[in-house]
Amino acid sequence: MDERTATPGYLMIESKGNWAGPNAGTFLRDAAALAEAGHRVRVFLVEDGVLTAVGTDVPEIERLAAAGAEILVDDFSAAQRALSATTLSPHVRIAGMDAVAAALSEDDCRGVWH
Amino acid sequence: MAMERRMWDLLLILTAAPHSSDVVTSALRLSQAMLDRGGSVRVWACGYANMMTQDTFGDTKLPNTRDPEGHYPSPSAVVQRMIADGGGRFGWIACTACSEERGAVHHVPQVRHRSPLRLAATIAGARRTLYLGGA
Repeated sequence: MDERTATPGYLMIESKGNWAGPNAGTFLRDAAALAEAGHRVRVFLVEDGVLTAVGTDVPEIERLAAAGAEILVDDFSAAQRALSATTLSPHVRIAGMDAVAAALSEDDCRGVWH
Repeated sequence: MAMERRMWDLLLILTAAPHSSDVVTSALRLSQAMLDRGGSVRVWACGYANMMTQDTFGDTKLPNTRDPEGHYPSPSAVVQRMIADGGGRFGWIACTACSEERGAVHHVPQVRHRSPLRLAATIAGARRTLYLGGA
């Protein structure tokens, strides 16, 4: 069994924009630390949190990707903020709220909303 | 013999005020996504989130002057519709202490009233709990 599948998985949902104070970045760094510790981590960026995915060199996104975390960007939040006209990080994938519902339905997934 | 307790798939504790951000929309979208995959969801309205289900709203928002023929349901109408469509898989709980502090005690009849003393038991009755909206 893959070591990552043997440990609890985490769904880390970030709703705060990266200008909302240091906590948004701290939350993503916590997610990266969990991934680096061998946990399966999925990050879902929603509401103003989607703005963190703009650009190609956001340190938190780069670190999450390097640690093997899956990074999802909420489709509705991105559309509301006209992000289709911008360049998103190559490490992120657009997803809907159904992805969150599916993850939270898994037995070993722990969800945290920030 | 102990009575078997119903377990809900997801409990959302919604602490944000309506219109403070997108969080109410997110809570409703996540609830609907869970319902769409056959799951069950409860929302515990905390603080100003209790304003959403006041019966004084009626069924529609104020007319939109740019779209006078449009129909824009009030938040209480949205919650009522989700409860009706959910077939027992969607529930909305009003916190009695938060409601009374705000004079927001006239909830639509579909809403269940609970003391905050029952919050822990409500959490224990759900497989997953998420806090949305901050402290």
